[in-house]
Amino acid sequence: MKVSVLFFGATADAVGGREVEIDLADGSNADDAFAEIISAYPNLKQHKLLFAVNQEYADSNKIICNGDELAVFTAVSGG
Amino acid sequence: MNQNKVDFIELTTESLDIGAIARRVVPANCGAIVTLDGFVRQFTKGRETLYLVYEGYEPMALKEMEKLIEAAKAQFQIENVGIVHRLGRLEIGETSVVISVAAPHRRAAFEACEWLIKELKRTVPIWKKEVYADGETWIEGDKSEMMNDE
Repeated sequence: MKVSVLFFGATADAVGGREVEIDLADGSNADDAFAEIISAYPNLKQHKLLFAVNQEYADSNKIICNGDELAVFTAVSGG
Repeated sequence: MNQNKVDFIELTTESLDIGAIARRVVPANCGAIVTLDGFVRQFTKGRETLYLVYEGYEPMALKEMEKLIEAAKAQFQIENVGIVHRLGRLEIGETSVVISVAAPHRRAAFEACEWLIKELKRTVPIWKKEVYADGETWIEGDKSEMMNDE
């Protein structure tokens, strides 16, 4: 299945883009998906990362579905 | 006045009018508004910032801000909350975030406003880049803080 992955700020700089599409095995959970993303973009390992699925902070067990919107970003710094 | 319809959350690249934002949260039974005006600091730990760039994951940021308002209203005696966060490039001294809390009595408004900014800085997906004379860096928050409270 295909899902899109969004990057912001430091993670967008680390991967050199703001959005990619990745292929995941059916039945993958959030942990699997984010492990896959980090192995594709090892630069991300330099950062403290947070993960979201469909605009919510992700539980590691959350099953990912075709068409989901994933996001990988650093601990937030607004305000 | 309809007391339940005046909470608001917004993201904007326009400059923020603090007084106007504060006035939007006032219902008739309130006696105090506490408003935080967060603005761009020139010196951080002795290093001079030229300007900031804020970026947000906008749909998620709006959802998280909405959750904060719900949670604040559940734990403090307050009536209405407005949160507006600016995105894009901000110069020194420009307002980046305004949080206004209206309450029947001031104490709850002070406490809720402090709680809201602390949580916003922990959970709402917005990031700032500090630009210096000799470089720039995306500021990363404290992840351990983020994970502990879930």
